[in-house]
Amino acid sequence: MDVKYVNPFVAATRAVFKTMLGIDVSMDKPRIKGDKMAFGDVTGVMGLVGDKKGTVSISFTQKGALFAYKTLVGDDGNGMSPEVIDAIGELTNIISGQARKELENAGINLKASIPTVVVGKEVQLHFVCAFPIVSLPFHFSTDNGQEAVYVDFSLE
Amino acid sequence: MRALVVDDFATMRKIIKNVLQKINITDVIEAENGVNALALLKREHTDLIISDWIMPEMTGIDFLKACKDDETIKHIPFIMVTAEAQKECIMEAIKSGVDNYIVKPFTPEKLQGAIEKARERAAK
Repeated sequence: MDVKYVNPFVAATRAVFKTMLGIDVSMDKPRIKGDKMAFGDVTGVMGLVGDKKGTVSISFTQKGALFAYKTLVGDDGNGMSPEVIDAIGELTNIISGQARKELENAGINLKASIPTVVVGKEVQLHFVCAFPIVSLPFHFSTDNGQEAVYVDFSLE
Repeated sequence: MRALVVDDFATMRKIIKNVLQKINITDVIEAENGVNALALLKREHTDLIISDWIMPEMTGIDFLKACKDDETIKHIPFIMVTAEAQKECIMEAIKSGVDNYIVKPFTPEKLQGAIEKARERAAK
C-alpha cells in the first residue's frame, strides 16, 4: 500500500467533506479490502485511466447519504430518490477530481469516467484490476449519531 | 444580477443555486447542457454563466467556445465550475476564453471571489 497513492484520496475526502458539507471526517486504519461487497447502500463508482488505470468507489449508508444530501442541498431527501443518487455521484466525482489533482502533483496524471451510482444492500463490486483494493474507512457525525463512508480504490 | 447555471446533474445545479443565494444572487435560471443553455441565452437576459465541464450533448468547453464566438453573448462573464483540477484542463479553458475557473469543492466565498474576478475580466 504505497502512501503516495493513499494520501491523495485521504486528503481529497477530508477536503470535500469539510468544504462542501462542513464536516470533519475521521479515518480508521486503511486496509486491503478482502471481499467484493460494497460497504453501504449507495455507492458512487468511477473508472480511472492515464498514467495508471483503476477504479475508485465511495460508499454511504442510506442514512449517511441522506444526511450528506440534506447538508448539500438543504432539503430532506425522499429515500434513495434520483436527487439523492445524483448527489452521491457528484460527491464521488468531486473527491475523484481532488484526488487526481493531488496525484498530478506527484507526477501521476489520470482522467476519470462519468460516475455511476449503484444502489442496494449487499452489492458486489468487481474492480477489474490486478492490484489489491485499498479501503479507507471514514466516520462523521450526523444529527443521529456516527455514520461511516468508505473510499475504496485500486490503481495499476 | 441573473445567473445561468449549466450542469447535467440537477442536484449540482441546486447546490450552486444554494451557494449563489448565500451571496445574494437569487435570480437564477438553469440548463442541463450546453445546447439547452445556448437556446436559453438567445431568449433570456443573463449577466453571468456558471457551467460544468463534463456534460452530455455539448461539453462545457464547447459551450464556452460557442459563447465566446457569439457576438451577442461573448461579453457575459463565464465561470467554469468543475471537478477537473488538472493543469491541462485549466489551460484549455483559459485558451478558450473562460473568465474564471473554480475547482470543486468550493465555498460561497470562493465562488463570490470568482464571480467578481470574472466580471472584471469580462468587462475589459
